[in-house]
Amino acid sequence: MLRQFQSGGAGQIQMQRAGQSMAYHEFYQDDFRPRDHYLPMWEHIQTTGQQILGAKARDAHLTLHTEGVTFTVYSNDEEGIERVWPFDILPRIITAIEWAQIEAGLKQRIRALNLFLKDLYHGQRILKDGVVPPELIYRGKDFRREIMDITPPHDIYTHISGVDLIRDEDGRYLVLEDNLRTPSGVSYMIENRIVERRILPEFFARYRVRRVEHYPALLLQALRHLSPRGADDATIVVLTPGIFNSAYFEHTFLAKEMGVELAEGRDLVCKNDKVYLKTTQGLRQVDVVYRRVDDDFLDPLVFRSDSELGVAGIINAWRAGNVALANAPGAGIADDKAVYAYVPDIIRYYLGESPILPSVPTYQMTDHQDRMYVLDNMEKMVIKAVAESGGYGMLMGPSSTTAQRAEFARKIEENPRNYIAQPVIQLSRHICYLDGELESRHLDLRPFSIYGSDIEVVPGGLTRVAMTKGSLVVNSSQGGGSKDTWVLAD
Amino acid sequence: MLSRIAESLYWMTRHLERADNTARVLDINVVYMLEADEGATEEMQWRPLLTIMGADELYEGMHADGRVTVQRVIHLLTQDRNNPGSLLLSLKFARENARVVRDRISGEMWEALNELWLSADKHLKTTLQPWRAAEFYAFIHRQVAAFFGLTQSTMMRGQAYGFMAFGSLQERADMTARILDTRYHLLLPDLKLVGSPLDYYQWGALLKSLSGFEAYRRTYQGGIRPIDVVEFVVLDTDFPRSLAYCVDGMERALARIGTWPDGAVPERLAALRRHLDGATPQGILDLGLHEYLDDFLGLLADLGTALQRDYFEAHLGDDAQ
Repeated sequence: MLRQFQSGGAGQIQMQRAGQSMAYHEFYQDDFRPRDHYLPMWEHIQTTGQQILGAKARDAHLTLHTEGVTFTVYSNDEEGIERVWPFDILPRIITAIEWAQIEAGLKQRIRALNLFLKDLYHGQRILKDGVVPPELIYRGKDFRREIMDITPPHDIYTHISGVDLIRDEDGRYLVLEDNLRTPSGVSYMIENRIVERRILPEFFARYRVRRVEHYPALLLQALRHLSPRGADDATIVVLTPGIFNSAYFEHTFLAKEMGVELAEGRDLVCKNDKVYLKTTQGLRQVDVVYRRVDDDFLDPLVFRSDSELGVAGIINAWRAGNVALANAPGAGIADDKAVYAYVPDIIRYYLGESPILPSVPTYQMTDHQDRMYVLDNMEKMVIKAVAESGGYGMLMGPSSTTAQRAEFARKIEENPRNYIAQPVIQLSRHICYLDGELESRHLDLRPFSIYGSDIEVVPGGLTRVAMTKGSLVVNSSQGGGSKDTWVLAD
Repeated sequence: MLSRIAESLYWMTRHLERADNTARVLDINVVYMLEADEGATEEMQWRPLLTIMGADELYEGMHADGRVTVQRVIHLLTQDRNNPGSLLLSLKFARENARVVRDRISGEMWEALNELWLSADKHLKTTLQPWRAAEFYAFIHRQVAAFFGLTQSTMMRGQAYGFMAFGSLQERADMTARILDTRYHLLLPDLKLVGSPLDYYQWGALLKSLSGFEAYRRTYQGGIRPIDVVEFVVLDTDFPRSLAYCVDGMERALARIGTWPDGAVPERLAALRRHLDGATPQGILDLGLHEYLDDFLGLLADLGTALQRDYFEAHLGDDAQ
């Protein structure tokens, strides 16, 4: 059970510390003075007055509404509700020093995870060396035997990664989870910046904020870099499941920003192991597919045969080297929440370095001791299904009912490989402007990295805010909000 | 049609087009200066605007210390009543000319323009603050678009329409050439793909100043390359602010107006056409973009002079004293 604690990389996290007051505050120091890098903003708010903020908040909402920046929320057996993207006008500010560490940590992690994926789908050295237990991989839902021994261009699996970071009680940045399949949120990062610039230009005057809007240009470059027929006249498409997908706005946004075609599965067809776009001028060969469709639905010939969202034959075309897929199929095993516990070991194994960004201690439900401990302490734990995302399939121990805990205990006993548990970490807090008041709310950070000719981390990210007082759930699909994220130039 | 009326129609749209371009160029700069650019000084960010608007000398005359600041540039180009090229005066001249031709344009067009002038005048009674500027420029942009949209949908396609179209396209060609020349000159490109974020934003600003960023990205998948930008902005007849598009449009407008016997306009327009026909992006860069655009602007000025002579100055017959 203690194995994961020793692999944390930078000291331990005390699990007994919980409760509102323990959380790190991004904005205030202990004596309720704003931290130094927030002072200019704070002074500005003081001189202009809080009423102005109210008008600004309304402007922001109106702007997002008019521009149609939306997010679709699904609840069980209901039609999706399209919501205006929730945005808090007070920016989150990250200093240059903090950012340097985040950036180095993310690059290290993504490099190691790509080496890990390459190894898993080729020689499996890491399993043979006993660093990662083979059964953990073989029983993982996202390990795709179908793609063994296929080598993607440049050995890159995760061209786009969105790694979620939180800050613990001491203000250290920790990795909460890796999103390596089809991470979303980058369009909202950019929209947040556009709105913030429009409604609070006077804040910018007091800071040197780094730019984020070149993300689509970087993405396009990375995708062109993958083209089997050379970058110069590569045909690139964004593959979307369609308008009912919760991230559809983002799919259209990226296609537009990159100036490439937004296609659905039915717009593509495979012939002779090549992928084609059905156009008014006939079939046009596609070189790179930035797919926002999950593995399961990507190719009915290889994965789920009932999928109508994919393209029959696309995996064979990929195998033949006639089309590049970003992210590569099979990348999901590396962000499996049970594999997460081994990432520090994975970093050490492939790079021979200590992890720069520590992880959250994680209990494996497949380990008898771990499981007993968690079942006895469920109200202190967050329990997560390993292959779910978006805050689904999660039990928040402290706010759960006896019935919910009993249900999760049953699920864990039934399928231990499907669950992990972590101590509840008090996410850091930040002030938000809510209904005319400044209130503190918990938040996290999702920076975006692109792996093309090298790994680039865009200086910023999506800051997600739990809008409910005291809540630790920030996922947009669970009603979370967001903030513009400023990385300072110096 | 009366020469005087023709002249007013031409200047009404020409001034409106200028106001719109001025607002757009300023807007892009105001928004873009909010974030950190490594090593770009205030001077570097704002002097090009003076050059584009041909206000360098005027500025030197007003500010003996020679410092270029945001506040000063915004003021001079937006609301300085001593600058005949300022946005405010462009709107004022547009409206004055519209009053002259009020019976020739539709009621909706007049109202849109009048309302635009009144709001802008009221808004600019006080000094425009840099962080309020973007909002103001966006407003101007929308209102001018509304005026031109109403023109499209309510104006008879005759001689009057021809003069209006000619005025706005001539101004547009002039502005496009100036924006491309000034910005490009500053970017000092080499002919390989420029990929650093700074370049991306600088080139993006050039294209955005021409409302062509999105269209460009869709047309060229290779990122922003100087040679593609030149092709797009100079020669692409589908891009509504390119030089080639403007010349095409002026030819159509001239067909509506009808040519003046022994007039110089058709020949001047043909000279512009020759300047574009047969040009290739590589050829333009080999010759030197600045020289190419300079020649274009010279030919465009000649065309303006010819138009003035042929149509706006009263032609006195042989029996004149």
